[in-house]
Amino acid sequence: MRTAILLGLFTAGTTALAADPARDGAAVYKADCARCHGARGEGSKEFPKPLIGGRSIGQLARLIAKTMPEDDPGTLSEADARSVAEYIHGAFYSELARERNRPARIELARLTVGQYRNAVADILGSFQGIGSWDSSKPGLQAQYYKNRRYRNSDRVLERVDPVVRFDWGTDAPVPEKIEPHEFSIRWDGSVLAPETGEYEFIVKTEHAARLYINDPEKPLIDAWVKSGNDTEYKATIHLLGGRPYNLKLEFSKAKQGVDDSKDKKEKPKSLPASIRLEWRVPGRPVEIIPARNLSTVRSPKVFVVATAFPADDKSVGYVKATTISKAWDQATTEAALETAAHVVARLDAFSGSKPDAQDRGEKLRSFTTRFVERAFRRPLTDEERKLFVDTQFATAKTPEIAVRRAVLFALKSPRFLYLDPSGRTPHDVAARLAAVLWDSIPDKPLLDAAAQGKLATEEQIRAQAERMLTDVRARTKVRALLLDWLRVEQPPDLSKDPKHFAEFAPEVAADLRTSLELFLDDVVWGEGSDYRRFLTDDSIYLNGRLAKFYGVDLPPDADFRRVKLEPEARAGVISHPYLLAAFAYTATSSPIHRGVFLSRSVLGRSLQQPPEAVAPLAPDLHPDLTTRKRVELQTSPAMCTTCHGMINPLGFGLEHFDAVGRYRKEEKGKAIDAKAGFENLAGESIPFDGARSLANVLLASGEPARAFVDQCFHSLVRQPIRAYGSARADLERKFTSRSMNIRELLVEVAVVAASTSSNRAALADVR
Amino acid sequence: MTRPTNRRDFFRDLGLGAAALPFVLNLPSLGFANQAARKKRLVIMFSPNGVIPSAFWPNEEGSKFTLGESVAPLEPFKDRTLFLHGVCDKVRGDGDNHMRGIGCLLTGAELYPGNIQGGSHTPAGWASGISIDQEIKNHYQKNAATKTRFGSLEFGVMVPERADTWTRMVYSGPNKPIAPIDDPYQMFAKLYGRTKDRETLGSILDDLQDDFRKVESKVSAEDRRLLEEHATFVREMELELRESTLAEVGHAMPEPEPGVRKDNDNIPKISKMQIDLMVNSFANDFSRIATLQYTNSVGQAKMRWLGVDEGHHELSHNPDSDAKSVEKLTKINKWYAEQMAYLAQRLRETPEPGGTGSLLDNTAIIWTNELGKGNSHTLDNIPFVVVGNGLDFKMGRSLKYKRVPHNRLLLSIAHGMGHELKRFGNPDFCGDGPLSDLS
Repeated sequence: MRTAILLGLFTAGTTALAADPARDGAAVYKADCARCHGARGEGSKEFPKPLIGGRSIGQLARLIAKTMPEDDPGTLSEADARSVAEYIHGAFYSELARERNRPARIELARLTVGQYRNAVADILGSFQGIGSWDSSKPGLQAQYYKNRRYRNSDRVLERVDPVVRFDWGTDAPVPEKIEPHEFSIRWDGSVLAPETGEYEFIVKTEHAARLYINDPEKPLIDAWVKSGNDTEYKATIHLLGGRPYNLKLEFSKAKQGVDDSKDKKEKPKSLPASIRLEWRVPGRPVEIIPARNLSTVRSPKVFVVATAFPADDKSVGYVKATTISKAWDQATTEAALETAAHVVARLDAFSGSKPDAQDRGEKLRSFTTRFVERAFRRPLTDEERKLFVDTQFATAKTPEIAVRRAVLFALKSPRFLYLDPSGRTPHDVAARLAAVLWDSIPDKPLLDAAAQGKLATEEQIRAQAERMLTDVRARTKVRALLLDWLRVEQPPDLSKDPKHFAEFAPEVAADLRTSLELFLDDVVWGEGSDYRRFLTDDSIYLNGRLAKFYGVDLPPDADFRRVKLEPEARAGVISHPYLLAAFAYTATSSPIHRGVFLSRSVLGRSLQQPPEAVAPLAPDLHPDLTTRKRVELQTSPAMCTTCHGMINPLGFGLEHFDAVGRYRKEEKGKAIDAKAGFENLAGESIPFDGARSLANVLLASGEPARAFVDQCFHSLVRQPIRAYGSARADLERKFTSRSMNIRELLVEVAVVAASTSSNRAALADVR
Repeated sequence: MTRPTNRRDFFRDLGLGAAALPFVLNLPSLGFANQAARKKRLVIMFSPNGVIPSAFWPNEEGSKFTLGESVAPLEPFKDRTLFLHGVCDKVRGDGDNHMRGIGCLLTGAELYPGNIQGGSHTPAGWASGISIDQEIKNHYQKNAATKTRFGSLEFGVMVPERADTWTRMVYSGPNKPIAPIDDPYQMFAKLYGRTKDRETLGSILDDLQDDFRKVESKVSAEDRRLLEEHATFVREMELELRESTLAEVGHAMPEPEPGVRKDNDNIPKISKMQIDLMVNSFANDFSRIATLQYTNSVGQAKMRWLGVDEGHHELSHNPDSDAKSVEKLTKINKWYAEQMAYLAQRLRETPEPGGTGSLLDNTAIIWTNELGKGNSHTLDNIPFVVVGNGLDFKMGRSLKYKRVPHNRLLLSIAHGMGHELKRFGNPDFCGDGPLSDLS
């Protein structure tokens, strides 16, 4: 956002600027064309051919000017022909217009990339266990040993270490029990990946260390041989967000190889020892892995498909998987082969049998059947069992080959790759619930409920949705939803002009994002789950570093905690410094960006890009003007005010906050003016003064509730809400009448999306 | 990697041909455009714990010499064999002789100080330089005429499952040891995994297309369009697979013996499987550089199949006066010489693809060791025996140098492979450049 120089002429409709004296295109059409071509170009008795085609506006204008009206061609002015061409092109003629006019419907969708990866992880996880996240046990289990061996008899201390960040100097960690020249430590537990992507893990130590992530057999970092002066070891690994991964870190301050300690008469001199365990979450700076992402509970191994997929289409604002490409199909082939190889390599564990066992074939067949069932998210029909299992076992020379083929076949089948959007069986309901809330496949309780007929009523579906919402996979999906809602899912570049904000380091920017995420999580998962807190809460999460920057008194090394920061001036996300900084320039605030942000995300209004790129007025050219005055000057022309009349005031309400979201009373020696009016849908202007008052005015308008319902539905379901009949109005009504409870809304969205079409028909379908 | 009992069947029973064009599954080409010039190849074979010099080195110097007992298996290749006596590993610094023996053998550079304690001397870490095979590989990979799919292949036999100075000989750079692959099935998967994948894919495509038709029939006309589009991609994949099969260029895929576990007593089988895979990868020009590391420095193979029940390293410490041990150590090294001879024989019987003669005419196998002699732990007179004509050395000779640093031999190898290095490893030991008298 910061780097965008487009601003200015946001047009609300499809008609372009009225730059010449032409008549309005719609009026011309109505007057001169509709009588033959129909009100919407559908044609008439004499002229049944609908007005649709592939001509450009220019081609269309020339054609119209030359040939229309049919009884008197050439009588339309060129300008009129142009404006009518523009009108029909945008209203119904062009392919885009037709697409826009098509009634929304629930479309067959393939798995999104995230769904594919999660589904494969959970199919395999269903045989070996799926980790759950226990946030009540932060940190890692640590065991300290008095020499180089990890023997119980040599263990001198067991405790929980919140993070791994130690500098012992030349001392021992447990001086009374350990000699300083030789000791070893093992940390155990899990690490939670907050999002999907490439993670870099970093171990810093002067001594030997080994780090295991996910795979308990193969270290991700093996620095057990200390060699030369290296003290920093890095490795990257692709992790799926919303899952705990097993983590083990071993440290040794000892010589390896031949144990010559008994031959030595004197104890060697103790060298300095320290260790730090850090990571780089995708798109963030390196940091010590925080305790909140660590748990002392171990996790089963997760199979993460390494194959790269082409990115999903997000052009409509949410991931929509209703198109495919050859590249995607090839990726599914690669990923299926990768998975098949993984399965076959661990067949003994997956099938619970040994290669030479009597019942090997039987066990493999049973495993394969379950694998295919889980991939298809339901029991197999006889026909499917025959095709996907029996035939493979009958034609492959050995059961192992049959497994490889069956896994490949199942993962390439449309029965796995597509989600039935309207199937009526209980298993279809279960599959949709799992896709909506987890982007994955049903777990055992859900499959059991389906099998036992316990997904028949709305209450039963709701009960499952409520249960599933507590899973870390749901939390992760909801967090992504909220970041999407706030238009910061892709972390924006927050670097600021060092002349003005020298202390605004990348670490501060990264901490701000954490602060925002903690707040979002707190609102959704905390007491009441009240949406209104998003807009009105007067506290903020700060750690020591942020507290210093924003002028709050906290110890420098304090972890994140909720504190009051200018409570009389701040209001939830509206004034969260991360967003204020994201929607600002490097040196100055940007009321326009902030106004557009509020319009689009909080109010859910659609704005189009201005047809012309306009460079912002440089502050230097108007040294006396405040930001507000400068923006008012730039957008004063009448053609700007259509949109900016609505956008700018929202941003003016936040002028108390500079480009890094710090509170200010004045700018350039002039008092901040944060008084403005909110233009509601009825065209009335509701006055407000500053962020808190703005938040209340917005809430009172009712627009944020509707916008949030849309956002939740689209981010979770990935289908147009308009296709679900009265669901939108029903959800909004429920949401507002239930104290804007977010968790209840999420559950209701899942219920609507998962219910069978017959259930939905009962919801007074107006389509 | 699992070891199914049916691997041989698996390869035979799948319908598609063994090799194919690259466009399916992004397989790099099996046939390269770089086949015009002569293809020179290098194999470095390692066995541990020194040798019994009297049974290893010919007494004579020059082209008339007699093979000792432990190298007798090289007799059929005597006229293309070269003994290089008097080449010494002069690299010193941290680490005991076994550690430096293997770590400096191909790098010619010191070990870094570190935390790995040997049986004597100071602890050490990894080698501080690249190994000569990787140096030549990098040189080859930079040039289209010598570039191959893998560049180099690192084979192992019964290498312990631990990474330390004693188990690593090959380095891609300072502090960057490369683990040899000692599981032939893993090596097979590396070489032929994609071919195998295509076969599996080919076996389900008909069923998959049927499945698409069935599912298409169950959805609405509007949704069917998406599935139909998807099905065309599946059909395209089938066509590509079929074309690649038709275009098969006739590279035979080896058939590793199934179900061989990593176990001391399987060393002979694993050795044979690895050598067969190596020869095959040369015939397919997958690589022109290979290393073959038996066990590790201080390796403890128990060659029970020769009637030797003791561990190799343990035996190697026994004094020269212990005739039984000397006899056993001679047997052990004779077994290694047999492996070299098997490799040489396989190379000799494999015609040079697209060229004349056999692979052995263009391949040099260098057999070496981390020590000159086991019980003295000397790094003087490191065993270096060359078989085959890949380096264009003048073969069929026994050369006796006067304590030349082995860095100079490493330079000679690079020169023989067409990479004219001036220095390699510690420059102090590169004095007069490549060894004289070799070609």
